[in-house]
Amino acid sequence: MGRQKNKYDFDLIILGSGAGGGVAAHVAAGLGKKVAMIEPEEIGGECPNWGCVPTKALLHAAEIYEIAKDAKQYGIKIPTVDVDYSRVKKWKDLAVHRTGTSEGKEIYENLGVKMIKGRGHFLNPHEVSVGTKRYTAAKFLVATGTVNFIPPVEGLDKCKYITYREAINLTKLPKSVFVIGGGAIGCEFANIFAAFGSKVHIAEIVEHLLPKEDEENGNLLASVFEDTYDINVLTSTKVAKVEELKNGNKKVFFKRGYKIESVIVEQILVAAGKRANVDIGLENAGVEFTPRNIIVDKTMQTSAKHIYASGDVAGPYMFTHMASYQSKIAGHNLFHREKIQANYKSIPRCTFVKPEMASVGATEEELKRGKIAYNTASTPINVIGRANTENAHTGFVKVITSKTGVILGASIAAPRAGEMIHELALAIQYSMKAEQIAATIHAFPTWSEAVRLACSKIH
Amino acid sequence: MKHIVKRAGHTEKYDERKLYASVYASCLAVKVPIGEAELVADKVVKEVEDCLKDKYELTSGDIFRRCYQHFQVYNPDAAYMYKHHFTLH
Repeated sequence: MGRQKNKYDFDLIILGSGAGGGVAAHVAAGLGKKVAMIEPEEIGGECPNWGCVPTKALLHAAEIYEIAKDAKQYGIKIPTVDVDYSRVKKWKDLAVHRTGTSEGKEIYENLGVKMIKGRGHFLNPHEVSVGTKRYTAAKFLVATGTVNFIPPVEGLDKCKYITYREAINLTKLPKSVFVIGGGAIGCEFANIFAAFGSKVHIAEIVEHLLPKEDEENGNLLASVFEDTYDINVLTSTKVAKVEELKNGNKKVFFKRGYKIESVIVEQILVAAGKRANVDIGLENAGVEFTPRNIIVDKTMQTSAKHIYASGDVAGPYMFTHMASYQSKIAGHNLFHREKIQANYKSIPRCTFVKPEMASVGATEEELKRGKIAYNTASTPINVIGRANTENAHTGFVKVITSKTGVILGASIAAPRAGEMIHELALAIQYSMKAEQIAATIHAFPTWSEAVRLACSKIH
Repeated sequence: MKHIVKRAGHTEKYDERKLYASVYASCLAVKVPIGEAELVADKVVKEVEDCLKDKYELTSGDIFRRCYQHFQVYNPDAAYMYKHHFTLH
């Protein structure tokens, strides 16, 4: 190691300052290593600047607006309820500011991490180029995240569309929006815009919204979108062509079966997924990758032994909590002989729509594909006390177990699903049986009672 | 101005004419008409440069891979010639 210290500029260079890189930087700096971090954009990466934090802040504002509109039925008088969308954006900015990303550079520098602004590109296995400078390191962690996937839709390149990055910074609410993509990002923005009063159309090529989750989650969300928000849900739909009209509006042509229909909207939001940001000269470093991710083993090591990868660029899930977890593992394994391995069996997945959708472990679809025998039980949330007192009746808890009752997966649609799911994540992590949760007393009246009820139905 | 790190380790200024000439020559090698070869070479060079515009230093391998990727779309046979000519030299 002593020789390496003289040979290279740094012990570790981290490409990317998001969740996939940040934790490892803390770990390595804590071990006294000489660390540099290369970041072309805002410190903190996707989640605090353009992803989870701003969207959750906007969803919260939308929820407050809805509560204010509905206050009358609870005896609360609010004379006029109106939206100033530029101030909604200011609230979002405050939430982003409070994450501390604006002071991120100083925080890392206080740890002794050298922050380098720019886009890193491997020139060889131990050297990266950033602008006009080059830096060498004994080891690397690639945490470059993702880039937006823009689908090959005719006319889209000639049309002014927005992605989630622009959508979070709108200061004026569009009258109408066509969302291309019914995954988590598309659904959350559909919910935000529709709650504030935009007319929303959402198109998904798969048969149901939230295609990575079980069909019933997507179908429930579609019915809530249609009934509560008057969203035009277009599943099994391919956007064929878009045109920008003279007044700036956009005409979207979409294909459902053999039928081609069209709709005119003020704004198009492209939310058709993300792709791993692998355009960083990985070939020059001997790192194997696919267009979807960098190939890593369970220790987060790539095909080049001194290069690790973590976060969205490594997959298999693109979540901040996943990236932090992987980054911690990579940070340890980069400098220790005894390696720790990642375990993905209980990674919670949440979509913060109304009602919230959360799931963990295997889906029914995955078990069917793997020809694994399973039992399932579900309970609607309207049977529990909390649904009555909060006047929220839409949702369910579904539990999937092995034939011996060990919990393999679960999905929840309920107002606090993102909180409720962790009980089931814990159960999956430690191979608990449904009957153990069923035998545990849950407080009345809580949403989590629905978890106990669903587990009690497994026989 | 982009710089290319060559396989031997030295650096050269990026010269789009070299890239154009290699694409053009590969097209001619598979009997693509001159006019079409010029068109393909123009397009491939432009697309490669678009992809690499945010980078200051690249390896010749980076240019080659990106060029082959775009070239394949326009003329797979000529792209094959380009790929193997590069490999041999």
